[in-house]
Amino acid sequence: MKRMAEAKQKYDNIPIPEELSKRVMLEIKKAEKKHNKRGLFMKKITAAAATVAILFIVGINSSKTFAQEISNIPIIGSIARIVTFRSYETKTEDTDISVDIPSIELISEELNGLEKGVNEEIYAFCKQYADEALLRAEQYKKAFLETGGTEEEWAKHDIKIKVWYEVKTLTDEYLSLVIMGNESWNSANNQAKYYSFDIKEGKWLTLKEIFGDNYIQFVEENIRYQIKQKEEETGMEFWDEQWNGVDENTKFYINSNGNPVIIFEKYEIAPGAAGSQEFEIVK
Amino acid sequence: MKQDLYNKLVTYIIENQDKFYRLAFSYVKNQDDALDVVQNAVCKALTHYKDLKNEEAIKTWFYKIVLNESLALLKAKKRLVLTDESYYHEIPYEEKQFEIYDDLYTQIEQMEEDAQNIIKLRFFEELELNEIAQILRMNLNTVKTKLYRELRALKVAIEKEAGV
Repeated sequence: MKRMAEAKQKYDNIPIPEELSKRVMLEIKKAEKKHNKRGLFMKKITAAAATVAILFIVGINSSKTFAQEISNIPIIGSIARIVTFRSYETKTEDTDISVDIPSIELISEELNGLEKGVNEEIYAFCKQYADEALLRAEQYKKAFLETGGTEEEWAKHDIKIKVWYEVKTLTDEYLSLVIMGNESWNSANNQAKYYSFDIKEGKWLTLKEIFGDNYIQFVEENIRYQIKQKEEETGMEFWDEQWNGVDENTKFYINSNGNPVIIFEKYEIAPGAAGSQEFEIVK
Repeated sequence: MKQDLYNKLVTYIIENQDKFYRLAFSYVKNQDDALDVVQNAVCKALTHYKDLKNEEAIKTWFYKIVLNESLALLKAKKRLVLTDESYYHEIPYEEKQFEIYDDLYTQIEQMEEDAQNIIKLRFFEELELNEIAQILRMNLNTVKTKLYRELRALKVAIEKEAGV
């Protein structure tokens, strides 16, 4: 078999172009964006949200359309607490909508009023997402019927709109929460918005607030360094060349150490199989 | 469960991409086409991953796609060449290669499709005969028969080798 071994040698020596892994990753990224539509549904709901959900079941059973204000379901903490300010679930012929809107209550008297603007912003964000999602659902239905789909086929679609929140951190010093919106039919419109609050100082936290005027350069360099380290450790290739860098809208929360953690959603900077990526930036 | 299988497929593709590229290259014989073949194969696999029955099938299933994509590209090119006038100028070039009998690799490249598939998968990719049978959708005995016949044709000494 000597000649066969030589032939195999020749085969094994076919050079692998650098472009190969890029082309493969590109295809994986493209496909995952398409296929993974229900990812966010897998995320666990918070205890408070679960409480709310139980109330819903009662509500739904007693009336067809259920909308009710529920307040004062405390989550945790003494200085600040998060309550579900307004929660509703609506079931129309085509669409299930469920929305949990959080509200921050600060116990401390002298900070009163500060959270008001914030709560208004959160409320506006939740409402806007739900309204727009409903509009997109209607457009989707219209397009579906116009392109030859029947009402009967449409009825088989499981159209769901969901807005909910999770508390990432609540200590005596910091509060971080994330509000998420998702549509069951199109993951491209999934949204997550992070809010971080310095309870002691009584102000919203931005990266600029934490790291000063040079925050962009500092955070970017820190992340690129961590990416390099992670790549060496795991052998997984990040898609950092497509990363646009840090700006004022960069998503982050404050962890229990009081350090900001930058978040990249699934597919944003690494293959979907690797999940979402987080980078703690030590102050 | 399906998500789990999907992730395993992605991992398998990432880990073995070099092999798929070499196999593709051995058919299409140039870098651009080989890259296209692998990219198309990944696209098809990930679009149709639901056809995949279980984890054990990933290997043969994906090889089958790479092989099909390679052969499809070759056929498309041949059609293109046949309708092209340059086809006539290429004949002498093809015949020149035939003369290098010394080189077994080149000789394998000249073999008819089935034989080439079997030899490459068996000796270059070192797959088991039953895996090859699955990839080529052939009876195991047919694969064995063809393999022996082609090896004789290649005048390669068949040594006692496990699985052959």
